[in-house]
Amino acid sequence: MKLLTPEQSMYTCVRCGACRGVCPTLNITGREADGPRGRVLMARALLEGTISVNQEIKDQLDRCLLCSACVDACPMDVQVPDIVMVAKEQIAAAVEMDSFHEKSVKLDTNQVDIKKQAKSVRNVKEFLFDKVLADQKNLNKVGNLLWMYQKSGLQKVTRAIGIMKFFPEQMQQMERIMPDILPPSKRKHHPEFTPRANEKRDSRGRVAFFQGCLMDMMFRETNDNSIKLLSKTGFDVVTPKSQVCCGALHHHSGKTDKSIELAKANIIAFEEAKVDYIITNAGGCGAALVEYEEFFRDDPVWLERAKGFSSKIRDISEIVHEKGEMPATVGRGERVTYQPSCHLQYVMKVKDAPAKLVKTVPNVEYVELPDKKYCCGSAGIYNMLQPELANEILDKKMEKVKETDSAVLITANPGCYLQMKLGVHKEGMEKVIETKHVVDYLVESIDRAESKSPS
Amino acid sequence: MTETMARPPLDKKVISRLTEIFGEDRVLTNNTDMITYSYDASFETQLNPRKPEVAVIALSTEEVSECVKLANEYKIPVYPRGAATGQTGGAVSTKGGIMMDLSKMNRILDIDHRNMQVMIEPGVIQNDLNEALKPYGLRFPPDPGSANMCTVGGMVSNNSSGLRAVKYGVTRHYVLGMEVVLPTGDVIVTGGAHSKALKSVSGYDLAHLMIGSEGTLGIVTRLRLKLLPLPVTRGIVLCSFKELEDAGAAVNAVFSSGLQPSAIEIMDFNCTKAVNMMKPELNLPIDNEAILVFEVDGAKEEVSSQVTRLKKVVEKYASYIKFSDEPEECEKLWQARKLVGAAVGLLKPGGFRVYGGEDICVPISRLPETLREIHNIADRYGIVCGIYGHVGDGNLHTGPVVNSNNEVEMENVQKMIDDIHDLAIKMEGTTTAEHGVGIVRAKYMDVEHGPAMDIMRAIKKTLDPNNILNPGKMALPN
Repeated sequence: MKLLTPEQSMYTCVRCGACRGVCPTLNITGREADGPRGRVLMARALLEGTISVNQEIKDQLDRCLLCSACVDACPMDVQVPDIVMVAKEQIAAAVEMDSFHEKSVKLDTNQVDIKKQAKSVRNVKEFLFDKVLADQKNLNKVGNLLWMYQKSGLQKVTRAIGIMKFFPEQMQQMERIMPDILPPSKRKHHPEFTPRANEKRDSRGRVAFFQGCLMDMMFRETNDNSIKLLSKTGFDVVTPKSQVCCGALHHHSGKTDKSIELAKANIIAFEEAKVDYIITNAGGCGAALVEYEEFFRDDPVWLERAKGFSSKIRDISEIVHEKGEMPATVGRGERVTYQPSCHLQYVMKVKDAPAKLVKTVPNVEYVELPDKKYCCGSAGIYNMLQPELANEILDKKMEKVKETDSAVLITANPGCYLQMKLGVHKEGMEKVIETKHVVDYLVESIDRAESKSPS
Repeated sequence: MTETMARPPLDKKVISRLTEIFGEDRVLTNNTDMITYSYDASFETQLNPRKPEVAVIALSTEEVSECVKLANEYKIPVYPRGAATGQTGGAVSTKGGIMMDLSKMNRILDIDHRNMQVMIEPGVIQNDLNEALKPYGLRFPPDPGSANMCTVGGMVSNNSSGLRAVKYGVTRHYVLGMEVVLPTGDVIVTGGAHSKALKSVSGYDLAHLMIGSEGTLGIVTRLRLKLLPLPVTRGIVLCSFKELEDAGAAVNAVFSSGLQPSAIEIMDFNCTKAVNMMKPELNLPIDNEAILVFEVDGAKEEVSSQVTRLKKVVEKYASYIKFSDEPEECEKLWQARKLVGAAVGLLKPGGFRVYGGEDICVPISRLPETLREIHNIADRYGIVCGIYGHVGDGNLHTGPVVNSNNEVEMENVQKMIDDIHDLAIKMEGTTTAEHGVGIVRAKYMDVEHGPAMDIMRAIKKTLDPNNILNPGKMALPN
């Protein structure tokens, strides 16, 4: 668990500036308020009451990607994203109070001076977080709808009549790079137990697979491949049916109660699985799962259970690299580069396991992506909320990707994957460079080697 | 937040003129922006943050020049700022005015490796510069502890240096020339307008007047820097001494043996304790008064023989020695020194480390006595502190640790800081050897310099008659 609460951590910042060199937004604008040090100072001013809740501070704090690169760079481990989140929660609470009192009591308008989000936006957000992400059945229904949309020809129709033109540019682009959703028949629940592929060899461990919510709907193949990769590298894999969404998105939008509910459900589900490790293939989920214990600081019983849970979380690349045994693989003579997931490299502290695995594949040239320290700008739904800044971050990232002259761009998180695909699409480089989750890349390399070997 | 507005607020016309120069996006007037620009890394700004009225993000010499011309016309102060990693309040406002953020002027313009020099903009980060020079086998040697985040422009303005100054000198020794925007907005190039020479005695050395002037005489917009070859390898000897005086004697013995270490670092018993708390596996000996870490560098064979010789010299004085010329082992030994700055904060649970009196420099011969006296001062005020520093040139970093909610402690630590600065002058030393004067050391300047201070004020008045560039710093008028 983190040693200090966000508020305590805020006061340990000595403003040394060590965070300046790794912040993606500061790198774009050069404006102190767009850097971690500035954000801590603004949050402090807000929490200490030096400044009141207003649109300006809200807008400024919303520009943070919450990528955690600054925490990694900080000699004092100042928890900048947590501090920003606490400030954002305070803003949200103030707005809530304000609208609660709206009808009867007139609040001092100087106190809370914030443009309210359009009601429709708020409703959609509520619905998405409470009813869809948190409920596997509903999520499945949405998946079916999306699949129908893609398969029925409706997608072609919308594209042809250009209805997407009426949506923000970012949404239009996103619609185009959406992965193909598998049909309902191929999205049945994963087998609850998948033994290691080669049962003649000793097991490398009994692990549970965390499937994620969106991940399992939109990236079903990557999830299938993840179970396959674990099995091929010597693990016995349990995929508990009762697992739920990790709650990261809820937490990031200040819905702590819902996050706690989801956390408890997952802790129970995975305790029952009785495994050595719990494996994720999405840095964003993994980072949320390792921080479950933060929810239960004041609850000694659940804190113990959460600690037990969090200590078992491993990223798939990490576990395969450290404990697994890679079978034969082979590449196609291509050049490959890797854009790390921020949550993976900065929160889970898995710096280069995906790259190390890719480097073991024969007949592949691995090149380092310059400035890979910077977030790609995906950051959950950041690119929807801050389209301008996100675009600039993405353009800069794609410049670096081009420099590597690679044929494959590896990612380790679905958000990064979509963002990189979007970047490749925007640059018109789809024929030149392929975006791939590291798991899919490795499984393909294994399949290729298997089909080439005489046995 | 301190509002130090000794002047009327900005004319609206000024903002619109600034917008013409910089464009809308790079002229900032939001309250939140002003909050973030009212600090640097100093204890002083933590206690008294100072807001500017407007901040601009400069991208070119022309913009800087136009802005300074405008400021001179309206007599508005301009505060140049790099990464604001300074410890002295040098890069914050003293009376509203324009904060000029130069951190985005960060292009490396020309690596002229055949002529062993580089041309850069002032916002380049020291480490980024050295990363870019590495492929050429070259480097820019001054190495402050903040090399990861400080700008070279800031280093030049404060004439900063680091732990390898004992062998490689300070920033001053590597500046061949610079482009400077004067307080009038005029632009000059020092060291020969078109020169690429590696040395020159032609004319007054204006660059060296600018170096260390903390942005009070001009704003540096380009730098021509001298480079050195990268050392091939290094070796480390870490040793520990029962008494401070033994450590002093060991340093003397090393110098008189003809060895030239690239760094000689000292850590007192409290620093040793703190580092052990942060990294128990280092397991440094704790029953001694001081640890010295020697670093030598050069070609492989040279380093091995230096390490052996060094070890022989210090053996007589030390109670514990570890050494290596293997890169990995060296890195491990060096950790002790690398971590100390951050580790000191652990000396007091819930406390934070205050930067104040952190930068004095005394003659090497008076180091042991100075160290003891600093601990006496700290004891007198009931404050825990760790002392470390660059013994090779007598530069000592004192790190007092206090609780910010303990008012008595907060008051005492400021008295302690004053006493340390007084001590430095009494020991025939200086109040600041690396970090600069800024706001925090202005009060010691007259005592330290006597009548020479009048000459400094006269120079300032000549170059900046309207007192618009970084006023109120270095004991110059506000």
